[in-house]
Amino acid sequence: MTTPPDSAVKFEIKDEQGFLVIHFVGEIDLHGSPHAREVILDCINQDRNTLINLSDITYIDSSGIASLVEGYQLAKNKQLEFGLIDVSKPALSVLKLAHLDKVFPIHNSLSERLQSP
Amino acid sequence: MAFMSDEDVKDLLSQHHNGQLERHLALLARMSQEFATSLDIEDTLNNAIVQMMDYLDAEAASIFLLDNNDTELVCRACAGPIKLIGLRLEADQGIVGRTVQDNQSQMVRDVSEDPNFTAQVDKQTGFTTRSILCAPLTVKDHKIGAIELINKKTDDGLFAVNDQYILTALASSAALSIHSAAQAAALVEQERIQRELELAREIQGNLLPEPRGGNFPVHGYNLPMLEVSGDFFDFFELADGRICFNLADVSGKGMNAALLMAKTSSLFHCLGKTITEPGRLMAMVNNEVYENSTRGMFVTMVGGIFDPLDNSVCLANAGHHPPLIQHQNAEFEEIQGESPPLGIMPDVSFPESHIKLGQDTLYLYTDGVTEAHQNGEMIGEQGLQEIITAHRSKPVVERINAIFAILQDEDRLLHDDVTMMVIENLAAPLLSQRFHANASALRQMREAVQNSLINTGCQDEQANSITLAISEAAANIIQHAYADRSDGMIDLELHMDNNELMIILRDYAAPVDISTISPRSLDDVRPGGLGTHFMRQLMDSLVYTVPEDGIGNRLEMRIMIQ
Repeated sequence: MTTPPDSAVKFEIKDEQGFLVIHFVGEIDLHGSPHAREVILDCINQDRNTLINLSDITYIDSSGIASLVEGYQLAKNKQLEFGLIDVSKPALSVLKLAHLDKVFPIHNSLSERLQSP
Repeated sequence: MAFMSDEDVKDLLSQHHNGQLERHLALLARMSQEFATSLDIEDTLNNAIVQMMDYLDAEAASIFLLDNNDTELVCRACAGPIKLIGLRLEADQGIVGRTVQDNQSQMVRDVSEDPNFTAQVDKQTGFTTRSILCAPLTVKDHKIGAIELINKKTDDGLFAVNDQYILTALASSAALSIHSAAQAAALVEQERIQRELELAREIQGNLLPEPRGGNFPVHGYNLPMLEVSGDFFDFFELADGRICFNLADVSGKGMNAALLMAKTSSLFHCLGKTITEPGRLMAMVNNEVYENSTRGMFVTMVGGIFDPLDNSVCLANAGHHPPLIQHQNAEFEEIQGESPPLGIMPDVSFPESHIKLGQDTLYLYTDGVTEAHQNGEMIGEQGLQEIITAHRSKPVVERINAIFAILQDEDRLLHDDVTMMVIENLAAPLLSQRFHANASALRQMREAVQNSLINTGCQDEQANSITLAISEAAANIIQHAYADRSDGMIDLELHMDNNELMIILRDYAAPVDISTISPRSLDDVRPGGLGTHFMRQLMDSLVYTVPEDGIGNRLEMRIMIQ
């Protein structure tokens, strides 16, 4: 799975102690969100607990947020864990705008999530 | 001997019996009339000197006038065997010099006995001077020169006292006439110069561009202190709609400065039509001016290009006062430059300053503005800024008039030409750009929005919110209005009105039913429908309309800038 060459968002997936961690870098807008969505849903469809690292997201719009919501809902149906880690300031302000900052589990960092039970 | 004693008068009157007095008076009357009606003073003097020589039975005669700031005497008319016209003597040289300096007529019966006599002329000409009668030409106490008669033709070769009286009388009349003629000539010359200066001023005025009215972004005003000015400004539109401009001050005043002004201005105007990088343009003008400019003369100049599409200015500065920007918050910023004036040395580089003017105003001015006086003190840069700020709410033309009214206030003596240029484009949108209605174009749109918000005083956080709202609106158009068709267009305009930002997005798709893009409840956590919610949340107002031409959809959003 690759991102299109002109997409403003890049990603990297790592297997970290039982979690698939997707690290997005750049901007998730209408152009990049279909691919972001595909990546997220693909991880969850592997029946893996999934964390999304948003530390390097400089811009996210409603379509990007929608991709996160879809991932959240699919994981919930599959009784898997889905969460966000290290959310950048621009991303957090958009999550707040969508009133989702209290819906998604948000962790300051991966290690914070790993240390909690 | 300027005045007659009673004895002399008696002596003169005795001549009445042999008709001599009548002849004297007749000559006096005739010559006075000739002098009075003379149009060509040289002609009249040459004519008069012959008549005097003949009448007084002299072998030769000449008229010497003071010249070269009264340091020399030059022969302007002569009669007799020797041509002396153009001969120059020291102002006190010879008997003629003594006559002029002492302001007294001289009768020298034997020149060989006179210490002042200069035999040099005789040596050069072969003429033998025996006796001289010389009378000063004066008007009141103003010395003009002298009339000199040489060698009486009588047997004894001597001039008589009577001759002296007559020459003195004729000299007075001639002096008055020469004086009047000189004054008239000076007046004619003065009028000629005046006419030429008026013509020069008119030509100079024609070199300045016509005012283009309040909606044009560039305005200039020049007030010359002398008839001709060393200041100038120019602006003209390039083929691509950008405006090339300059404002400059030539060193010195008057005709020299005016000629250098005309040259520099023409060079800039001509080269500026093809060379649209101000730095390179000014480097070329500099080399041309340097190549054949008069020593020590130079031109300070700010030249640049204004782009009305994005309200940006690119300028270069050749030793001129730093241009002044007044920002929206009324604060001033000087645009410094380091390059020397034009015409001082060749191959100078003129670095360019790139300015996003936005809704700010750029002022260019010559030092005549800041050197204008108020209560005996120069207005200075601080004073100018205060004057500009006091009138900043006025429309630009009214504002310039108000500033110049202050500079010309009767208590404020203008010391120099005063020239100012104002560049602002408040009517123009902050941004007006067409984008492809394609998801891949959204990033470019967001960048354009961010850039145009830089100079509005908008904080980063608010700029991000505005960018998000616009991007969401455009995404809606792409997804819903054009239904992901790839050939659609979106026109985006950003306008600033006081502190309110107005955003207009326009598409050319089929009209959209607004109810289908209404926001949904956020309590229901599901993807989609968030965009419209973001826009409503972020903007103060949001109005969908059908554009005036009936095609497509128009969305107008407004928000106050904090």
